[in-house]
Amino acid sequence: MGNKTRQNVVSDGRISRRDFMGAAAAVAAFTVVPRHVLGGPRQIPPSEKVNIAGVGVGGQGGGDINAVSSQNIVALCDVDWNRAGGTFRRYPKARKYKDFRVMLDKEDKNIDAVVVATPDHVHAVASIAAIKRGKHVYCEKPLTHLVYEARMVAEAAREHKVATQMGNQGQASEGTRLMCENIWGGGIGLVREVHVWTDRPLRGLSDVYWPQGVGRPEDAPQAPDTLDWDLWLGPAPRRPYHPAYVPFKWRGWWDFGTGALGDIGCHSIDPVWRALKLKAPLSVHAACTLVNNETYPVASRVTYQFGARGDMPPVKLHWYDGGMRPPRPDELDDGQTFGDNGTMFVGDKGKMLGYRIIPESRRKEFGNAPKVLERSPGHHQEWINACKGGKPAGSNFDHAGPLAECVLLGNVALRPAIKEKLTRVNLLWDSANMKITNVPEANQYLHRQYREGYSL
Amino acid sequence: MNGRVKSDERQDEKTTRRDFMSAAAMVAAFTIVPSHVLGGPGRVPPSEKLNIAGVGIGGRGAGDLHEVGSENIVALCDVDDKYAANVFKSYPRAKKYHDFRVMLDKEKNIDAVVIATPDHTHAVIAMDAIKRGKHVYCEKPLAHSIYEVRKLTEAAHQAGVATQLGNQGQASEGTRLVSEFIQAGAIGQVREVHSWCNRPISPRGIDRPKDTPHVPKTLNWDLWLGPAPRRPYHPCYLPFSWRGWWDFGTGVLGDIGCHQLVSIFRALKLGYPTSVEACSSVVNSETAPLASIVRYDFPAREGMPPVKLTWYDGGLMPARPKELEEGLRFGNADDNLFIGEKGKMLGHRLLPEARSKEYGRPPKVLPRSPGHHKEWINACKGGEPAGSNFDLSGPLTEVVLLGNVALRMGQQLYEKGLKLYYDGPNMKVTNLPEANKYIHSQYRKGWSL
Repeated sequence: MGNKTRQNVVSDGRISRRDFMGAAAAVAAFTVVPRHVLGGPRQIPPSEKVNIAGVGVGGQGGGDINAVSSQNIVALCDVDWNRAGGTFRRYPKARKYKDFRVMLDKEDKNIDAVVVATPDHVHAVASIAAIKRGKHVYCEKPLTHLVYEARMVAEAAREHKVATQMGNQGQASEGTRLMCENIWGGGIGLVREVHVWTDRPLRGLSDVYWPQGVGRPEDAPQAPDTLDWDLWLGPAPRRPYHPAYVPFKWRGWWDFGTGALGDIGCHSIDPVWRALKLKAPLSVHAACTLVNNETYPVASRVTYQFGARGDMPPVKLHWYDGGMRPPRPDELDDGQTFGDNGTMFVGDKGKMLGYRIIPESRRKEFGNAPKVLERSPGHHQEWINACKGGKPAGSNFDHAGPLAECVLLGNVALRPAIKEKLTRVNLLWDSANMKITNVPEANQYLHRQYREGYSL
Repeated sequence: MNGRVKSDERQDEKTTRRDFMSAAAMVAAFTIVPSHVLGGPGRVPPSEKLNIAGVGIGGRGAGDLHEVGSENIVALCDVDDKYAANVFKSYPRAKKYHDFRVMLDKEKNIDAVVIATPDHTHAVIAMDAIKRGKHVYCEKPLAHSIYEVRKLTEAAHQAGVATQLGNQGQASEGTRLVSEFIQAGAIGQVREVHSWCNRPISPRGIDRPKDTPHVPKTLNWDLWLGPAPRRPYHPCYLPFSWRGWWDFGTGVLGDIGCHQLVSIFRALKLGYPTSVEACSSVVNSETAPLASIVRYDFPAREGMPPVKLTWYDGGLMPARPKELEEGLRFGNADDNLFIGEKGKMLGHRLLPEARSKEYGRPPKVLPRSPGHHKEWINACKGGEPAGSNFDLSGPLTEVVLLGNVALRMGQQLYEKGLKLYYDGPNMKVTNLPEANKYIHSQYRKGWSL
């Protein structure tokens, strides 16, 4: 596994890195070079606790903070103090903020690490601000809102040598390791086709998690007193407050969220990425329901083409959402569920649903793959360990950046203005130059202008 | 090609059938047996014009009537005076009706009926006409439920009337080329076909409206409902948007499937599938989904291996085939993609372009059509059966409508880990009995087949 190899290399070099960091800190003490230029984080011995700040703590952020509560939670930031109330009360000693920029200024000396769990459109500006101050960063998935941001955040983290982890906790699971080991052990032979699907934004076939395929509301209700709407918007273009966006439903809106693909893709494509040692796709294509410039479509299928990697042949990855699924494989017996969320690898010797090889006869014949991967101490613990000089976490940004780029590239293919183009071509992707080469106008969707006061 | 072979056989029997018909007519003249018991149509020599009545004329019906305008349009029926106003004006000599039953009772001189009402009234109208010995042209899909389709097919066959389904693409050159390419082995054996359409164009995945606006004076709402369960009038149902409502329409699959799958059915000689599965966006008890994928498994047929047919709507479609050169259109409006063991075919174009040029045209072995509506006119006058006569279009429509059964069972199917197993001849889902309630729609009191 490419990634694992890299991790081991880095891990072997751990002492030197810590020595270097120590030296850097010493230099910093005697010069006027601003800290963010050096970008070195404080050295934290394993016996000490990491001083952590949270940005966006009302939703998933509350869970992330709880998961690292063995450390010192020193500051919490949320633009909605009502929604963040529960988390605030659990950590009464943490100082409270509304603006992450103010928090980072005031608490710079007191914090080692930042947990970012805001809506997607704020991930990049919050993460980069922290990284440039030499803070370790745990950021919820998807790493960012747009492809360019993912590239910049990963580069900054590399440059500033901070410990990073994206919030796709499934990467730490036994299942992810079994998927890799089954593939590498030859459980289903060579894989040329993979299907990944989620029923989101649907919940079952009757209800919805959040609406997509809808237009912008025309009324402009008053924002709740407890919400700082301007800070919630952050770098996104100004628009009036509406409960159609907060909380949670921002996921369906182009300006704030990343749709079902962004929400779930970094979770469910991650093990495929590892097992098949994927690197940037060569091309992407999409088909979907009616598109508009406000919200993501109701349902979509996105297809990525990846080139050969080492001994592994080129592979197509098909993503489905909104209730769409690949065909139920003939290898399943009646009554074996196929699921409303899942992953299916199609190999030349069999198929694999999640990490379960089908048909049953092939699973029995193959038995258990050799256990070659190290098991995880836990997703959040990986990051804590890395913050203290341990080896990089499993979804550190060197891994998570390219994965998130791939996921977000799929959303470019769903843009309304691209739809007609896609009847004639696939979008060809030049990852090294971060460029769609055959449909130049698609490149505008890789990044965007920020409102004043926000930058990467 | 199944259908075509059958048509040819029937052409040979033509004289016999016409002789029999005229004998039947003579018997009728000397007895008091009602004509619907005999079920024989009146004889119209090729030199004479047919007397045609139209039912449901405001929308698609107007186009159908125009297509048969060489004949006498003697009576017109519509439940919506406003929607049908222009069409009524175009045929000033045609008698006007609201209720097809009254029209069929009063107009003794009708030879043939063109039906283009919403799907939920196709069957009751067509059956009434067939039982009276009228030839029938019926818009697609043939009916609203599988059971209705079967009954109509049987009745038309028994009555010996000339029939045609409104899937006019069946008469096209393209449909013939598809069959000829496949027959000639241009892409080898086919085990996989994809078919897609970017409709719907009316709202889906929604609930029944709660407000109850007044019925327009120009509309007979009770007759519009026909056999469907009573519900208050609402403009969200008509015109046209009834297609999304399960009580009236059949979704995109019903709307377009009979058009688009016909070339696949003929080329691959398809009959009933062994199983079907479906997934979709929100589907509820009221409306069809905004987008769906329906997958059928067909068994081996004479010299052909089992084949998987996948239907997509709402903008979904298969991935772009690598054989299609960059810049060539792979449109989402509608198309069919055949995957053969020796190549692929998009519509009736071999992929890649180089292969298409090298291969040229397949041998021309199928007779060409005089035109879809003309086929039916000819059949009404004793000519050979039309290309989409109910013996052929009935089974096709049943398969199309089976997809809707799978869609409506979608949630249960994935919860139970099943496909629907289907016994075509007996019209029965064998492994999930609840599904069978969707094989037939319940009629309101006063309506029957």
